Amino acid sequence: MTRLVRAELLKLRTTRAAAGVLALTVAVTALIMTAVVLLAGRPGQPAVDSALLTDLVVVAKGPLVVLALILGVLAMSGEFRHGTATPTFLVTPWRGRVVAAKIVALALAGVALAAASAVVALGIGLPWLRSEGVEVAVGADAGARLLGLAATSALHAVLGVGLAALVRNQLVAVAAGLLWMRVEDLLPAVLNRPGLGRWLPEGAAAALTGPSAATLPMWAGGLLFAAYGLALTLLGTRLVVRRDLT
Amino acid sequence: MSAINVHGLSKRFGDVLAVDGLGFEVDEGTVVGFLGPNGAGKTTTLRMLLGLVSPTAGTATFGGRAYRELPAPARTVGAVLEASGFHPGRSARNHLRVLATAAGLPHDRVDEVLGQVGLADAAGRRVGGFSLGMRQRLGLAAALLGDPAVLLLDEPANGLDPEGIHWLRGLIRRQADEGRTVLVSSHVLAEVAQTVDQVVIIARGRLVAQSTLADLTAGAATAVRVRTPQAEALRDRLAAGGAAVRLDGPDGLVVTGVTTEQVGRTAAAAGVVLHEMRFERSNLEEVFLELTNHGGDR
Repeated sequence: MTRLVRAELLKLRTTRAAAGVLALTVAVTALIMTAVVLLAGRPGQPAVDSALLTDLVVVAKGPLVVLALILGVLAMSGEFRHGTATPTFLVTPWRGRVVAAKIVALALAGVALAAASAVVALGIGLPWLRSEGVEVAVGADAGARLLGLAATSALHAVLGVGLAALVRNQLVAVAAGLLWMRVEDLLPAVLNRPGLGRWLPEGAAAALTGPSAATLPMWAGGLLFAAYGLALTLLGTRLVVRRDLT
Repeated sequence: MSAINVHGLSKRFGDVLAVDGLGFEVDEGTVVGFLGPNGAGKTTTLRMLLGLVSPTAGTATFGGRAYRELPAPARTVGAVLEASGFHPGRSARNHLRVLATAAGLPHDRVDEVLGQVGLADAAGRRVGGFSLGMRQRLGLAAALLGDPAVLLLDEPANGLDPEGIHWLRGLIRRQADEGRTVLVSSHVLAEVAQTVDQVVIIARGRLVAQSTLADLTAGAATAVRVRTPQAEALRDRLAAGGAAVRLDGPDGLVVTGVTTEQVGRTAAAAGVVLHEMRFERSNLEEVFLELTNHGGDR
């Protein structure tokens, strides 16, 4: 199993897709961070105080989870799109293990993306704010948020693998993921059930990076989101295992 | 001892019965040509052997073990399936490194097989820029990675230039000399005729013939071709004598089931003028066409 995970990580390292997603993550985080610092304290924007730091860590989590999802989709759908599924399953005919290894590898990649995003956010934000004379101290919450950010990024990458295993087509899988995020935003209002949101996948995931009265507790949200991801990947894996590779 | 056993193998894709009760065996250490026209079910059969497609009925095993049940598949069986199984952005070396990692093979093997297929100089280049022939070579390198005792090659000559085909023949022959079993598919008999010990011929998903090449040509049909201004008269006399005759153009006859001597004697007795007479044995390719056109008929 370890060698399969190593092979999957090597796949990620040897094409430009993962590097591209990483570069985008860094760029988007830097952009958002710059905007946040420039706008901080203006009317309608968060005040520049020590509480800001907790938010800074997760400042780019919106684009980050989308990019993590896309990386997961690319990793899985690429096998079908380029026909590499054939050599992959020839070397390892136990397809369930291949998908499992991919899930582990993409979870690690998701953590790496989150780490990169957090480092860039803090690397830009902290010195900048300090240079403006704002005293920002690292609070206890920031650490928990950081873990939550890593978890949500990892789980979104895994979700991408599951989605692509289910629908195979790259574009359809990415579109389905993004569309669902939109639908989920609207669903509670449409159904007139405001409390519903926290139980839906993205609502549950939101507890990981910004637990509040409107969300589940951090641990519960994380577990629920992981359960959604697991269910989707199990369904996808079943299909991948059974499908004829012609 | 047989290296490959296919027994009662069938595969249905929707309405299409791609493989229909196919059965054959390949002995250890032999090179067998797996022949049939396009769409005969060759690729589907190979994919069922390799566990990529699940059979509707029957079994396809390596010495009794399904591919999935082999303890180390990549060290036991090497396969070249189609030229498209590469990520265009990954280099040839990295493609093989990924496979070697997954199979638990030492990375030294990567450069060894790259050299073996003549891709050492292109190892660092992205596969997206490779010609069809180079991809075919890279596929072969992947198949050889685990130093397997059995090789399955699906149309390996596709995309190779004449020099490449010559090289491929040498490679297959070397593998055979080292005692490996090779099953190589093709829709052109001539392509593999120089390389194989035996042939398995299929058409419409069914077995048409399994024999040595020598037996195949021995069974080839013979005919006597005659050109005469009195074609119809001669036809009637020959037919009366029990030969199978058909007219071929206004002054030609094709006679089967008789020797040239018999035709000459009959013509002399009937006072028929002959302009030309020759004996024909159909070649391997014609035998193949004959078998695959009429074989597998329901």
